Amino acid sequence: MNKLLFIYIVFCYLIASVFTLENTITVENQLFGSSILIIIFGIPHGAIDNILCLTESNLSKNMFYLLYLLSMLFYCFLWFISPMYSFIFFLFISAYHFGESQLSNYKIEINFSKLIFFIWGVALISSLFLYNTEELSNLFNSNDDTSNFSIIFKYNLLDILFYTSNLALFLSLLYLKVKKLITNQIFNTELFQIILLHITFFIFPVIISFTLYFVFLHSIKVLLQEYSYLEQKISGLNLIKFIKLLAPFTFLSVFLFILFILISNFYNIDISLLLFSIISISVITLPHSISMTNFYDKINFK
Amino acid sequence: MLLSIMEPIAPDNYVAFTFFIGYIAMFAASVFFFVERGSVNKKWKMSLLVSALITGIAAVHYYYMRDYNLATGDSPTFFRYVDWILTVPLMCVEFYLLTKLAGATKKLLWKLIFASTWMLVCGYIGEAFNPGGADATIHSVIWGVLSTLGYLYILYTAWIGEVAVLAEKSNSEAIKKGVRSLAWFVLVGWAIYPIGYMCMDGGWLSSIMDPKSIDVWYNIADAINKIGFGLVVYTIAITESNKELAN
Repeated sequence: MNKLLFIYIVFCYLIASVFTLENTITVENQLFGSSILIIIFGIPHGAIDNILCLTESNLSKNMFYLLYLLSMLFYCFLWFISPMYSFIFFLFISAYHFGESQLSNYKIEINFSKLIFFIWGVALISSLFLYNTEELSNLFNSNDDTSNFSIIFKYNLLDILFYTSNLALFLSLLYLKVKKLITNQIFNTELFQIILLHITFFIFPVIISFTLYFVFLHSIKVLLQEYSYLEQKISGLNLIKFIKLLAPFTFLSVFLFILFILISNFYNIDISLLLFSIISISVITLPHSISMTNFYDKINFK
Repeated sequence: MLLSIMEPIAPDNYVAFTFFIGYIAMFAASVFFFVERGSVNKKWKMSLLVSALITGIAAVHYYYMRDYNLATGDSPTFFRYVDWILTVPLMCVEFYLLTKLAGATKKLLWKLIFASTWMLVCGYIGEAFNPGGADATIHSVIWGVLSTLGYLYILYTAWIGEVAVLAEKSNSEAIKKGVRSLAWFVLVGWAIYPIGYMCMDGGWLSSIMDPKSIDVWYNIADAINKIGFGLVVYTIAITESNKELAN
């Protein structure tokens, strides 16, 4: 168990205590707490993709920004063409990205390592969705423009994904352990972490469950990896300088999001906040996950 | 004659069943650790004695809890906490004894003993002195949180803090592995206790797990944690003793 997992467990106990005391936490309070944590840790973890990509790279600054923006535009266009496929595509990219980040500490030198990353992420997302089907279904159905997304809860699709991905993940980890590509300790820790995530997703509401995972086990972990990498590349880097690096795009993201909410209220734009949030997160996730793959390739092939 | 004075036990009374199993298993483990003290090097005898004491003390309490539960049908909270308040600090002593050779200080020992006692005293106040009514939940949450602080301190020390660092410094694979195994007991095995606490009547998890069946889980967890803890210590002691004998 590392420090982040310890903090995750502490937060689980803390939230369980609040639930015992209050019986429930309102959706507004859940969103408020989640937003604060995501603004502090979630957004910054993707705010230095430019620095990470341009360090030790032949890519020019202009070319990077051009490619980054083009991929965002491409995704916007995809949303315009088919929201349903765009949503599913978003879940798949996120699955791969989460899996890659989770297993990035271990140098898994096999041909199908990327498949294992993907399986890990599918197991995570399908578990989150399966344990909170009713809540998510109600959330999607609360807006006309997101109600189509509820289709993922039909035809036992989610059950199939849940069982196959979790079984495949267990077998993959077992394979890695048997082939001595990971140690017993890593195998046990990974297994424990997956079980812990299942328990968390089962007992807590979807917003809290996702925020706990996303902030403590994903974003902060990535931030630490980024810091550790840049510490070797930028002389005299310390926490303050690192925060200064994170600040511009973090503030820009928050500013643009707030600006949209204000504009949508003022001009009565015909898109729900939920759909806008999903679109904006997915549009950023595509280039971010490509940048992170590039980053992990750099730190693993050093 | 004996059967006439014994309380009849229903075949589906799993609480009574696990109290019996727990008692016998703890007693057997205690005898085993005592006897096996003779097979290990002098410096490991104390560790095995502590293991034997842990299971021995638990066996005595399980003997009483078994009868109490049969006679009243109630959960023997008082006996359970008396058992824990004696055995859990002793389990923390095991961490100290294992890492002593790598430089563990008495200060670490007392910190662990204090944290475990704190955890249990707060848990007992939360469980046994619950005023009921409107104040029931706030009472159990406050004492539950205070108790959990003790648990988290031990968890941190075993996984990340002083004990983990000392085990890494020990130059012994057996100690490293052993301390890691004991840390797993604290993380997974001991987690049943706060979960059980939340399953009390009116607790947040009481709808998931029947408060009446929590004794079954406590009994199973106790047996695994205490005997398992002792077996890990025994494995380290035997491995290290054999290694020293070979040298």
